Amino acid sequence: MSLEQVGASVPVEKKQKFTLKNGMQLAGILLLLLLPLVLQEQDFLVDTLIMIALWGFVASAWNIVGGYGGMLSLGHAAFFGIGAYTSTILFVKYGVSPWIGIMAGAVVAGLFGLFIGAVTLRLHGPFFSLCTIAVAEVLMIIAINWHSLTHGSGGIPVPFRPGAVNMMFDNKVTYFYLAVALLAIPYGLSRWMNRSHFGYYLIGVRENEQAALALGISSVKIRLIAMVISSSLTAMGGTFYAQYIGIVEPLHEFSFQLSAQIALMAIIGGIGTAGGPIFGAALITLLGTVLRSTLGGAQGGVQAVVYGLLLVVVVLVIPQGIVPWFNRFMAKRKRGSVHA
Amino acid sequence: MDIVLQLLVSGVLLGGIYVLVSIGLTLVFGVMKIVNFAHGDFLMLGMFGAFFLFQSLGLNPYVSIFVMAPALFLLGTIVYQTIVGRTISRSPVVQIFAFIGLSVALQNLALVLFSADYRALNTPLVNKVFQVGPVHVSFALLAAFLVASIITLLLFLFLHYTYTGKAIRSASQDRFAATLMGISNQKIYRFTFALGLGLLGIAGCLLIPIYSVYPTVGEQFALIAFVVVVLGGLGSLPGAVAGGILIGLIETLSSYFIAPSMKQLVYFCVFILILILRPNGLFGKPGAAEVAAE
Repeated sequence: MSLEQVGASVPVEKKQKFTLKNGMQLAGILLLLLLPLVLQEQDFLVDTLIMIALWGFVASAWNIVGGYGGMLSLGHAAFFGIGAYTSTILFVKYGVSPWIGIMAGAVVAGLFGLFIGAVTLRLHGPFFSLCTIAVAEVLMIIAINWHSLTHGSGGIPVPFRPGAVNMMFDNKVTYFYLAVALLAIPYGLSRWMNRSHFGYYLIGVRENEQAALALGISSVKIRLIAMVISSSLTAMGGTFYAQYIGIVEPLHEFSFQLSAQIALMAIIGGIGTAGGPIFGAALITLLGTVLRSTLGGAQGGVQAVVYGLLLVVVVLVIPQGIVPWFNRFMAKRKRGSVHA
Repeated sequence: MDIVLQLLVSGVLLGGIYVLVSIGLTLVFGVMKIVNFAHGDFLMLGMFGAFFLFQSLGLNPYVSIFVMAPALFLLGTIVYQTIVGRTISRSPVVQIFAFIGLSVALQNLALVLFSADYRALNTPLVNKVFQVGPVHVSFALLAAFLVASIITLLLFLFLHYTYTGKAIRSASQDRFAATLMGISNQKIYRFTFALGLGLLGIAGCLLIPIYSVYPTVGEQFALIAFVVVVLGGLGSLPGAVAGGILIGLIETLSSYFIAPSMKQLVYFCVFILILILRPNGLFGKPGAAEVAAE
């Protein structure tokens, strides 16, 4: 990773003053938040917005470990699946509210993340990625074979019983606001990390572990904290997904495709930034929808070929991600013009 | 006792297949220090190629080797020129995710062109079994094992006794020093990557009488290949041979003594343990894991 990237992820944030630009940003966000109310009837559009918020949430959670920490996990589906299964098993078998389930899932996944983080401390680059792939595969095999607990490869259907206690709603718009509320957690956390000791330490460990150690930063502690936060948040996404979609399946929840998709969203948008993963999630979700509707086909097919090739191009041409690239582009233009 | 003997023989033969699937991966890593995450998808192309050569031209899969190996070698050259060459000495993000994008594209291309159906070769070859003493041996497995042995031996001789082979090894030991000696790293890398894919072309032909082919078939084989090469030490050829045989034995024994559905669980756990306890593998050069991290 280059020095420029450090620069990009360690901006000096001044005390915010209310300017026209800030006002417009705020108005834009408010408009986006109100959009689903207008679109109530358009289930398809609301569904797309929910997916954007959910994947933005999960990609932001990944970004804490993968982006800020530089540990390129390709097994985050493991945590997503743990969250989905924990809350669903509690809900379906024991009638425990998913609100408690989502916390239970986060705790279980956090402990699991702590364990995985602890045993993989020595691994870097592709070796870390390979290990995380294997961990998710192991969980998938367990979920498929532990019939009494997980119903095997068929998965567990979540009965639709609308009600605030059950985290299930007749109105899709409610799901959207719930997803946005979730999304606010890792987004706020990332904003905070951009100007806090913890964030600087994590980036420091990513850029040069030896130098960070020499400065007295405990790389072990920092990496483990990042791992726990990231895995707990990812698990919460799993619970939300289960309550929204209405089924948990091992072949999706623990799949490599899901892990890769989570990481790709963050990378395309811009790793190590607060907004990047959300932008990436929006872009990839919308791209998937547009390509599907123009090129046809359900799952897979021509649209996925285009999608795969686009990923290759983006990774090769703008490896820092679209958001940092765009910011630098705008900064350059600003410097160029007189009215800076 | 007979059953144990049978399991050992089957395990070693299966291991031969895993060696064949893995040596390309370990060769490319050893020289270029990149992990090809689309490895399995190129194997899938090799298997589809062999399948359709048989289907449309009636070509025996063992003859198809002479078509598929050059075809994938050529594909490797093209992929290197367009994509892989641009990932050399860049950050792990670029190296890992360019291949993952490629993998997504290849799998879905196969889905569009060939549909998601499972296709298996329907020839007398498939079920031929003969008996040696108390042990039954499948012809297709034995053939794959023998060819894998020959290929590995040839590759070893090539790397140690030809000029190109020596250049490849020198580039893998110290790319900077090799450049100073007048070796073009770009050429060596392109050749090595193409060679790795060519080996997958051979593997595809040998696997098609044994396994059915479908667009995502590569995923399982890629995972096995990762396990094998990490076990043996990424970049080590003898390591891949030992790792392949070991995984073949582990798989065969655990599916008999524990449960068939658990065999993957066992070797993934072995994989994670090896990664954690000895990331350089059983035969890897010390520091291989660190080099990859740079």
